[in-house]
Amino acid sequence: MTVFRRLAAQWAERYRKMSIQMVLSLSFTAVAAAGMVLMGASLVWRFSAASEQMVAENTQRVLAQANLNLDSYLRRMMRISDTVYYRSIKNMDLAEDDLTGDLSLLYEENRDDLVSLAVFDGQGGLVAAVPLTSVKRDAAPAESGWFQAASQNMENLHFSTPHVQNIFDDPDYPYRWVVSLSRHVQLTRDGATEGGVLLVDMSFSGIEQVCRGVTLGGNGYLYLIDGSGELIYHPRQQLIYADLLTENNREAASYRDGSHQEKFRGQARQVTIKTVGYTGWKLVGVVPTRSWADSSLQPLLFGLTLLLFAIFLISFLNFLISARISDPIRRLERSIRELDRGLAGVEIEEGGCYEVQRLSHAVASMVSTMRHLMDDIVRQEEQKRRSELEVLQSQINPHFLYNTLDSVIWMTESGQRQEAIQMVTSLARLFRISLSRGKSIIPLADELDHARHYMNIQQIRFKNKFVTEIEAQPGTEGLYTLKLIIQPLLENAIYHGCASAEDDGVIRVTAYLEESDLLIDVADNGLGMRPELAASLLDEDRPANGSGGSGIGVRNVHQRVSLTFGEGYGLTIFSEPDEGTLVRIRLPALDKEAADCCQQGEVL
Amino acid sequence: MKSRKSNWIQIGILAVLGLAVILSLVIPQVFRGRASPQLLSLSVMLRDTDSSGWTTARQGMEQAADELGAELRFLTLTTPNDSAEQEILFLREIEGGAAALVAVPADPSALSAALEQWLVVCPTVTLESPMEGAAGVVSPDNPALGRQLAEALLEDWNGGEVLLLDTAGPCSGITGRLEAAEAALAGAGVPARRIQTLPEEAALWVMAFEPAATQRAAEKKESEERGFALYGVGTSAAITACLERGSITAMAAWSDYAAGYLAVRRAVEAARGEAGTLSALPFSILRGEDIYAPENQKLLFPIMSSSSR
Repeated sequence: MTVFRRLAAQWAERYRKMSIQMVLSLSFTAVAAAGMVLMGASLVWRFSAASEQMVAENTQRVLAQANLNLDSYLRRMMRISDTVYYRSIKNMDLAEDDLTGDLSLLYEENRDDLVSLAVFDGQGGLVAAVPLTSVKRDAAPAESGWFQAASQNMENLHFSTPHVQNIFDDPDYPYRWVVSLSRHVQLTRDGATEGGVLLVDMSFSGIEQVCRGVTLGGNGYLYLIDGSGELIYHPRQQLIYADLLTENNREAASYRDGSHQEKFRGQARQVTIKTVGYTGWKLVGVVPTRSWADSSLQPLLFGLTLLLFAIFLISFLNFLISARISDPIRRLERSIRELDRGLAGVEIEEGGCYEVQRLSHAVASMVSTMRHLMDDIVRQEEQKRRSELEVLQSQINPHFLYNTLDSVIWMTESGQRQEAIQMVTSLARLFRISLSRGKSIIPLADELDHARHYMNIQQIRFKNKFVTEIEAQPGTEGLYTLKLIIQPLLENAIYHGCASAEDDGVIRVTAYLEESDLLIDVADNGLGMRPELAASLLDEDRPANGSGGSGIGVRNVHQRVSLTFGEGYGLTIFSEPDEGTLVRIRLPALDKEAADCCQQGEVL
Repeated sequence: MKSRKSNWIQIGILAVLGLAVILSLVIPQVFRGRASPQLLSLSVMLRDTDSSGWTTARQGMEQAADELGAELRFLTLTTPNDSAEQEILFLREIEGGAAALVAVPADPSALSAALEQWLVVCPTVTLESPMEGAAGVVSPDNPALGRQLAEALLEDWNGGEVLLLDTAGPCSGITGRLEAAEAALAGAGVPARRIQTLPEEAALWVMAFEPAATQRAAEKKESEERGFALYGVGTSAAITACLERGSITAMAAWSDYAAGYLAVRRAVEAARGEAGTLSALPFSILRGEDIYAPENQKLLFPIMSSSSR
């Protein structure tokens, strides 16, 4: 039971690891092969049973014919005996008539089958005999088995087993094997009746000829036994007599008429019995099972070849069909595995049978939905981030506002009315552009205007410590840009570049086209910084620097540009200590239509 | 990877099935070839000038040849017990393609010495006498036979010299019987003398150790109405008739049919390179009154099938 469970578990484990094509092909093949083997076994069993039945019937038919021939032969002998008795002995008085003449006549008519005819009186004395007319000096017929059988059972005719007839005096000493037919007879002598025995010695060759001509299938043979199993005829009789062979004749004597299976000397064989009517003899047909099994072997092997070929063919077809069925599933599984690995652009092929098509369609639909959802999520996240950055960017530094207003008050109080008006105007203009009716993408001219107003205010505050040059090169007219991206850079240029510089600063803003991109350079001639530091300013993971600016404003601008237009866009910082800093903004060159689309949140 | 492994498994299954189909076609052809072994040609060489004394043995030989797929050629000598002629015949049969020989050697030692190298090429089974280099011998236990025959004589012996017919010359099997009988008689204090032919003077006890000598002695006894008691060997009808008539007092008998059958069977086995063993043939000492006992009938009077008569 444990072994069975372990095997079952092993099979289950293997099953789980098998491909669907393997499961299909092996299952189909195993079922088909099992069916064929079952059918083949059934056919073999039927064939074997039919062969056995056929052999039995054939043997019975042959035995019936042999029985007919033997019976005919024995009846002829019995007719001879009857003729001698009823036509001669019954009609003769031995005191007056000689029986020899009648016996000679009968003998001559049947000399091929007869060895001798003889009549004995009750004491075994010879009355008449042909062809030999005298018995041996020391012969004792009354002691013979045939004589005693006839004397003891007077009603019947008796057939002896084969023996060498030894009572007649034959100068040639031929030692013939005979089967003796004896019967009790009533002899008349001088009118008185007395008992006697009539002997008909049949030549053994007569019986042998009847039996020898019989052929059974395979290596089958026929033999003849008496009721007690004593051998009368056997095709290898002399080998048995010489103890070189044994036969199951004693056992066969106990069998009833019909076919039987027996095992003798390690050999299975079919034995068919037919009793020879009057005598009680039995014809025994023996067919070794192996002989017909051998003859059946060729067709069976041919059948096996056909069976194997059929299994081969079915297996081949199963493999093809299962491959055909499972191929779409396998492709679907491969696509899902590629999806799982994160490969983009994986196509879900919708092939195969209905269920697989539906499954593929459902998977493709699910993948598509998932992609859209993910895109939406990404977009929303980007939008959210951008909005957050924009909110941050659009907030006016309260300190800047306080300083500006303080400057306006101071200028008003000091009578610098014109400068105060200019500063308030620039501040108003700054706010107006910052609002831009809620739009995030505004004309480049507005953005530059915004930068100009911002710098106006800062120049007044910093008492013209630096000069600002803002320029839009030809071709940039009518282009759009993300709003409030220059002001943080200018703020950086003022506070970290020019504010603490000893010389007068120059801050230059230049907008120009490069191929399909709009580039805005914000350059100063301030303190500058090391290139490594400049390169790290845009790094999101950069730790906050307490000594100077942390670069948050610059990074926010960079992230806003990247989130809005993609990874290829954003800021690049070029700087050298004591030489100044150049911050380059790369944007797509957006016309009004593109800017409107972009405004609606579409990614270019 | 899994798909490739599955493909290999499927190809493997198909290959195994294809191989099974091919084997199921080829194997029957192989066994069909083996099922019918080649017919062997066997020569049977006697040491007599005719084979009449070997009729029963011949029946057994033919039975064995029929069963085992062999054909027999019977050869007799122009002069009885001519060993030189046997050698010539032997070589001729080997050159003629005999697969094996069954021989009744006239002089086993001389024949073995002359044909030593050929006995490997052509297996030889002997009857009566053992021969060095032979594949086997089929005979009764010759010394035991001679001894028991002498004992049968001793049961009847009431005085007088026993003449031992020494007729077989260098034939060791026959000589073995004679020597064993001679020793048994000597052991019992019975005078015995070897002779080549029956003497004309009166004799009381005569022993013969080969069938031909037994038959000749019995016939001489009958024709000349001699009064000696004859003890011999043989199972031929003529010898049995002499036993029945009382010309032979007792004889050692064995199944010549079995001897012939066993000799050919062993020769076929040896020719096919198969192993086989032979044991001494059982024999009986019979007197006239024993002839018609059922078992002795089977021994002495083989059933002559109508087809072989």
